[in-house]
Amino acid sequence: MSILAVDAVSISFGGVRALDAVSATFGAGEIVGIIGPNGAGKTTLLNVICGINRPDTGNIRLQDRVITGMKPNRIAGMGLARTFQTSQLFAGMSILENMMTGLHLRSGTSLYGAALQTKRMRAEEAELAARARDALDFVGFGGFADRPGNVLSFGQRRIVEIARTLISDPKIVLLDEPAVGLSVNRVEELDSLLRRIRDEKGVTLVMIEHVIRLVMGVSDRVVVLNSGQKIADGRPEEIRNNPTVIEAYLGKQIDAARSAS
Amino acid sequence: MTLPVLVGNRSFLALLFGVLLALPAFANQYTLFVGNLMLLYIILALGLNILVGFAGLLAFANAAIYGIGAYGTALLQVHLGWSFWAAAPVGAVLAMLIGTLLAFPALRLSGIFLALATLAFAQATQWVLWHWQSVTFGAGGFRVPPPDFGWIPVKQDYGIYFVSWAVTLGLLLFTWRIMRSRIGRAFVAMRDGEIAAQSLGIDLLTYKAMAFALSSFYAGVAGALYSGLLGFVSPEAFDLFQMIIQKAMIVVGGLGSVVGSVLGAALLVYVMEVLREFKSTQEIVFGALLIAFMVFQPHGLVVFMKRWLPGWEEPLHLAGGVQSTAPGHDTSVAGATSKEHASAERT
Amino acid sequence: MLMFSYLMATGITTGAFYALVALGIVIVYKSTEVVNLAHGDLFMVGGMLAYTCYVMGGIPYLPSLLLAVAGAFVVGILTERVAYRSVLKHGLASVLVATIGVSFVLKGIGRYIWGGKGDYLAFPPIVSPEPLQFGNIMIMSQQLVVLFAVIVVMAALALFFKRTRAGKWMQATASNPKAAMLCGLRIDRIYMYTFAVGAALAGAAGVLMAPLTHLYPDVGFVLFIKGMAAAVLGGLTSIPGAVLGGVLLGLAEQLAAGYLHSSFQDVVAFLVIMFALIFLPTGLLGARGLRKV
Repeated sequence: MSILAVDAVSISFGGVRALDAVSATFGAGEIVGIIGPNGAGKTTLLNVICGINRPDTGNIRLQDRVITGMKPNRIAGMGLARTFQTSQLFAGMSILENMMTGLHLRSGTSLYGAALQTKRMRAEEAELAARARDALDFVGFGGFADRPGNVLSFGQRRIVEIARTLISDPKIVLLDEPAVGLSVNRVEELDSLLRRIRDEKGVTLVMIEHVIRLVMGVSDRVVVLNSGQKIADGRPEEIRNNPTVIEAYLGKQIDAARSAS
Repeated sequence: MTLPVLVGNRSFLALLFGVLLALPAFANQYTLFVGNLMLLYIILALGLNILVGFAGLLAFANAAIYGIGAYGTALLQVHLGWSFWAAAPVGAVLAMLIGTLLAFPALRLSGIFLALATLAFAQATQWVLWHWQSVTFGAGGFRVPPPDFGWIPVKQDYGIYFVSWAVTLGLLLFTWRIMRSRIGRAFVAMRDGEIAAQSLGIDLLTYKAMAFALSSFYAGVAGALYSGLLGFVSPEAFDLFQMIIQKAMIVVGGLGSVVGSVLGAALLVYVMEVLREFKSTQEIVFGALLIAFMVFQPHGLVVFMKRWLPGWEEPLHLAGGVQSTAPGHDTSVAGATSKEHASAERT
Repeated sequence: MLMFSYLMATGITTGAFYALVALGIVIVYKSTEVVNLAHGDLFMVGGMLAYTCYVMGGIPYLPSLLLAVAGAFVVGILTERVAYRSVLKHGLASVLVATIGVSFVLKGIGRYIWGGKGDYLAFPPIVSPEPLQFGNIMIMSQQLVVLFAVIVVMAALALFFKRTRAGKWMQATASNPKAAMLCGLRIDRIYMYTFAVGAALAGAAGVLMAPLTHLYPDVGFVLFIKGMAAAVLGGLTSIPGAVLGGVLLGLAEQLAAGYLHSSFQDVVAFLVIMFALIFLPTGLLGARGLRKV
């Protein structure tokens, strides 16, 4: 059974067809890279999957349950998490609190419980804090727990945001350009982090990336989009040599250059 | 413990509430009235800060909701003969229900647009209070019978004062606890990253409604107490100027800070009293003070307190983070916030 | 039918005036994403300055007009430098409180110099106070002056933004301040001049309207709400929208007052704001933006 199934999804924005009958499946514990030239519809695909936009046609299934059209917070509750291109770390709280917010759905204190500071509430808060620290340690940022959300550099924030998505034990995590803004060393660290996530936690990772080296190196499978359509889907080696993919990125320039000379 | 550590937000609150509790013993009637008003403003500021400071919903309707609480309580007494003690909770709940409706436009509007829509709502409410004369007695206002303390042997203004004091303290504790819980985190998350908050499972409608419900309930309670305090209700007490005062309180005190609300409220009540001396230049001085605060302490006094008083230990939830500068700057905190600790064992 | 055409005429001319106020609001918003809550008070400043020059100083009308507008321009620069410049980057709530502070200062100064709460200044009419007759409709000449002025101002603004360098700089700064900065534009200067232009527009509106209405220090806020309603209806980022919104608001007010009840005139503006924001969030002519994630 696949974790996530995208079934002939299409969506248009103001006359522009952003996604055109795109289908793909994502299985348990695999890392899938999504690549494609700018404007190919990669982020749109993620937005549609996680519920920010509703597709015009087609369906999305999360573990065989149809989630098309559900609100994003409900889909999140079903085990799908995601990061964004721009940093969405909450600047107004500490990093530890950021992580604890990641466990929002796994906690249940109500207004009543919080007001009365019941034993159950205090125990729950303690547990949330402990799990938050563990999650930070997993990505190596344990020492930053009590710092405010805005002291990290951009690259550091991306890592912490990944930790925040993991804390609720999702089944699948969508990552939108996790390597953006990272130095070469950090990209390598990200590479091993992603592998650890897959191996130790069995989480499916779906990753939009432009850093081809990273995508090809860490992915089990790669999906290629161009102008809203899926043009290839397979193992990294196959994709690397696929002429349609090469053409999508480089265009027909090489042929044109040849004919001109 | 060294002295500096003793001087912090806890001692500030203890001092303020201690003085306020003892006020009837040494103050004249007017000072007691101002003290009572200060308590009401603390309630209003606490509620408004939840909505604007923590949840990031820039709404301008709070003064009108305050008015609905006051009018609701007073009209139940005058038209239906209810006692204050029965009318007050109903008035507060009525204010809460109407205020919660504003959550719906808040789903679609944000920033300046939400501010405008809620401002328009407030002005429309004011218009209703003015023109629905058969019910609201119009622009001139009307008298309300004072709360009856029955068999409890207490002077009238002492009675309402102590009730206000107790309610204010209760709401302060309530606010402190809520904001330190997962609900407070959900508010801040909604403010700082709405899309990410949703992707973590936070339902925007629920939490926006909750923010409006809480702030409106506080405003309604303050309104009920106001009608009991003053014995007279009229539309002009709930107009735009009132809204401006409330906004100023939380911005001057510190958005996203519970103690900041108290600080801002106390300070502004004091400032308004002082301004009475400046007969003809009142507005100029008030405006100049607002400008000065925004230029020198745009994030509120709590930032200043936190930096200079080592015992000031409320964790701040300022929008944009502590010590934020212009967008694009990478901020590194010098050490001003090293006293924060988020251990959940501390209550 | 007579009443209808009268209401229409009054509606359009009052609307033209709201449009003038709205234009100032829109220009500042387009450039800085700030709504200047003191905008209405700048209108008051313009009117008061014109009164001082024309009535108290005996200076002829046209120079008085120019002096008043120039004065409002200067006030705009001052407020930007003192109150807004350092606050702009700290978030909307702080900026709004700063503009509120400016509003109080201006109102207070107005009250201090020109009179207390009960005083209304009467500005003598500039053109002949005899109403002109068009068929069955009577219009005050001053109202036509206002209408004409709005058209002139709108055309001037359109030219300014499309043809002059300064106008293009303002547009660039409005759409992408960081990029503008990288291109070498002094955006803090541009912001300052934008505020000043907005203030000058408000001042001009104040001068033009002075003969038609009484001047008093609190007139600013009422005007602000009406101008805001017009701007929101038209789309906060659209200049022609401000004019359209103003005219529609003027018409709505007159029709409501005429056919429903005179007391409804005040509440129309608020209802328009709420209606426009809920059903037409980008206004009638505003730009539609997609949310980018």
